[in-house]
Amino acid sequence: MITLAVFALFAALAVAAAVLVVVQKNAMHSVLYLALTVLATSGVFFTLQAEYLGAIQILVYAGGIVVLYVFVIVIVNLKEIVPERRPLLPKLVLVAVPVAVGVEVAYLLIARGFPAAPGRAEGHGFTAVAETLFGSYLFPFELASILLLAVLVGAIIVARRKLVHDPD
Amino acid sequence: MIPIEAVIVLGLLLFAIGFVGVVVRKNLVVMLMSLELLLNGANVILVGLGRRLDSPRGSVFALFVIIMAVSEAAVGFALVLAYFRQKKSYDVDALDDLKG
Repeated sequence: MITLAVFALFAALAVAAAVLVVVQKNAMHSVLYLALTVLATSGVFFTLQAEYLGAIQILVYAGGIVVLYVFVIVIVNLKEIVPERRPLLPKLVLVAVPVAVGVEVAYLLIARGFPAAPGRAEGHGFTAVAETLFGSYLFPFELASILLLAVLVGAIIVARRKLVHDPD
Repeated sequence: MIPIEAVIVLGLLLFAIGFVGVVVRKNLVVMLMSLELLLNGANVILVGLGRRLDSPRGSVFALFVIIMAVSEAAVGFALVLAYFRQKKSYDVDALDDLKG
């Protein structure tokens, strides 16, 4: 019961902050609300007993990605607020389409009910996650490290100021 | 025990809000932030299903989604910086070089 209350609290916080991310005119405020959303989502992960993922969420998202966003906003100097011109009708349609998709899926889920879980429970604690990650998913895990290396090199090459002249 | 419907509806809400942000906003940096929201919604659903099915695969998949989100943020920001240096703007309306 108390878990459900904590879940509801973090869920409401996450949704409210997510709405504020999209609505804010100042990009720096958006980033701070994004940090709030990420922390609230990690709270949701904790209530769902995914402690490892909650910790990773705080470390990688709140500690890494959000700080990266703050640096980029400072570098490109997003302080001045540029008004975004878009007529009302297209804006309403653009909001209505994602909302309709979400409502449809939620309706189907609640009307039909979620199918019962098949047997063969494997557990979802630290040990089970580690055994699956380094057992069945070892190859994707190693591929992910190669992806991160490629991203490191690619981001430096794309973002550097000008081409380095090769003496040859 | 948290009902699975509540978790999926929360994930859907975050996904829909992120979707609206990507489609409606014209600021490149805010669009990238909305993309993070979208991936977060997917993560919530993955973790909820892992809990419901009592399987570690939900957490493992969500971990890979987070790795992908980090890569996307880094490369996306490199592109935004390169674009900003060229155009002195971060509005998607200025991205019309290939318009015939």
